[in-house]
Amino acid sequence: MLSLHLSGVEVRFPGLDSPALTIPDLRLPAGGRVAVAGPSGSGKSTLVNVITGLERPSRGEVRWDGTDIARLSESARDRWRGANVGLIMQDFHLFPGLTALENVLLPARLARVANAALVARAGELLAQVGLQRPGQRTGTMSRGEMQRVAVARALLRRPGVIIADEPTASLDPAHGAAIGALLTGLAADSGATLIVVSHDPALIQRLPRRIALAGGEVRDDAMGVTG
Amino acid sequence: MLRFILADLGRMKAGAVVIVLLIALAVALGLGVSLSERALRLGSARASDKFDLVIGAPGSETQLVLSTVFLQPAALPLVSGDVLAALARDPRVSWAAPVGFGDFHRGWPVIGTTTQLVENTAPGLAEGRIFAAEGEAVIGATVGLAVGDAIRPTHGELSRGGHDHEDVSYRITGRLQATGTPWDRAILVPIQAVWHLHGLETGAGHDDAPAEAHDEHEHGHGFDADAPLTEAWQPGEVPGLPAILVKPSSIANAYKLRQEYRQQGGTMAVFPAEVLTSLYGTLGDARQVLAAVAAATQGLVAAALLLVTMVHIGQRRRQIGALRALGAPRGAIFALVWAELFALIAAGIVLGVLGGWLAASYLGRLVTARQGFPLPVEFSAGDLAGLAILAGFGALMAALPAWIAYRQSPAASLRQ
Repeated sequence: MLSLHLSGVEVRFPGLDSPALTIPDLRLPAGGRVAVAGPSGSGKSTLVNVITGLERPSRGEVRWDGTDIARLSESARDRWRGANVGLIMQDFHLFPGLTALENVLLPARLARVANAALVARAGELLAQVGLQRPGQRTGTMSRGEMQRVAVARALLRRPGVIIADEPTASLDPAHGAAIGALLTGLAADSGATLIVVSHDPALIQRLPRRIALAGGEVRDDAMGVTG
Repeated sequence: MLRFILADLGRMKAGAVVIVLLIALAVALGLGVSLSERALRLGSARASDKFDLVIGAPGSETQLVLSTVFLQPAALPLVSGDVLAALARDPRVSWAAPVGFGDFHRGWPVIGTTTQLVENTAPGLAEGRIFAAEGEAVIGATVGLAVGDAIRPTHGELSRGGHDHEDVSYRITGRLQATGTPWDRAILVPIQAVWHLHGLETGAGHDDAPAEAHDEHEHGHGFDADAPLTEAWQPGEVPGLPAILVKPSSIANAYKLRQEYRQQGGTMAVFPAEVLTSLYGTLGDARQVLAAVAAATQGLVAAALLLVTMVHIGQRRRQIGALRALGAPRGAIFALVWAELFALIAAGIVLGVLGGWLAASYLGRLVTARQGFPLPVEFSAGDLAGLAILAGFGALMAALPAWIAYRQSPAASLRQ
């Protein structure tokens, strides 16, 4: 349930003449759901990095509910991200030696916020995403199951915003559809703001607002028909 | 977090084991060298504890000490028997006893000496009684014979071409308590028996000739197993001796006696402790060379370890970046990398300490079995300080890759 306001954001990388991302003004209301699309190199990943605080823009403000995370220190951004952002990545980033439950809890444990209530919630979330065996090692899971674990992990700390970066790109269409449904459903249930970077038409279809990036700029920002 | 580290180490078991073993080997090498050297020093110093002053004929001081303290077989030049007679009467001397070498029984040296020496150097008898007649013997604590056994000495070790003293045998009357010296594996007989066995008639004036020079037919002639023992030495009646053990009545007298018998022609006087000290000097040089080798090994292992961890951290940039992206704080990443690496280093050090101690103890047992004196393998405060420094260095070394992981930008890591 966080609202986002980007203003005057510019990200430049050393050695490149043109900025990787230029966004003069972009607003996303709390609880909004948006798809971000665009060809490779259009600035999608940079946008994700900037709004999650993984990268500091060269210029501009990144306000989440009034907090300009561009002005936070590295450690403060880590803390803010841990508490407010549920991140789902294309490559899942699960740790094969750990069980599904341990994977869900790992970031919270590393941030020293995992208490009994959170452990219980992790179990519930795994059931919600359709996994019956929280004790199964993730190394033995199918890709679809792995992404379900990653979704549960993203939701653990009840984040105000869920950001998914190509969540279905490494899944077959059936699994991709299941994950898409899960994501939009869970985001709607929790009321969290949802930002999905994807070029999967089926997934984009599920989201009411669509932003098209090209050359590091917003080319199109439209409300569409959800299917 | 611990669970994560264990799971992570479990995934690269082979590599982790190799790293731990490498560290353990380097630590064991360094520690083993210093433990063994110290054990040898302590052990030999304790073995020579009862030997205050040794007087012999001029020759190698080291050989005199090695032969009397450690019973290393060697043909020593003989010192005149009159020296013993004079020492026995000297008021500065508590007691003086002859030591005669050369005979063996099944690898155990047969040492001719006096009841006085036995009583003054051994803590007591474990069983039986001390020898009282020419044909009797007492055995050291570790000699594998029993009281009541009869032994036939050979002149020189049989394995080195010695020959039997036919028709001569000693009967074992007692076993001494352990002294923790090479004398524990000796068979002690009356010196008088040794003289008679080798045809050195008392007072026959063989003073300067080595025992080996005597004709075969003389062997055993004067030996009478039942003859009583005399330990009152008269000038002119005592044959030549390889060594005389002297217990001075005071430290001052020890120095006076040494001075006197050094200046006197035909004799040499040494403090075994002093001779050992100079031997330790040589030993110390050898230790320093080995310690340098060990230190170089440790340095190499440290460098290899650093290289391996750097490569490892590089390979896991994405994983670390992902952890950060998912909300793990930088401090946790630092702790994770540091703890994982330091766990390996600490395991290696602990294993190395164990290995070094075991190796030194094993070496010590080998030496004890061959030489008869125990080597006390002990840790000193210096060892512990050294290990603490090593552990500290390990902790510091583990911090380097941890710092690199800490500094790593998660966005850049994930872009790769």
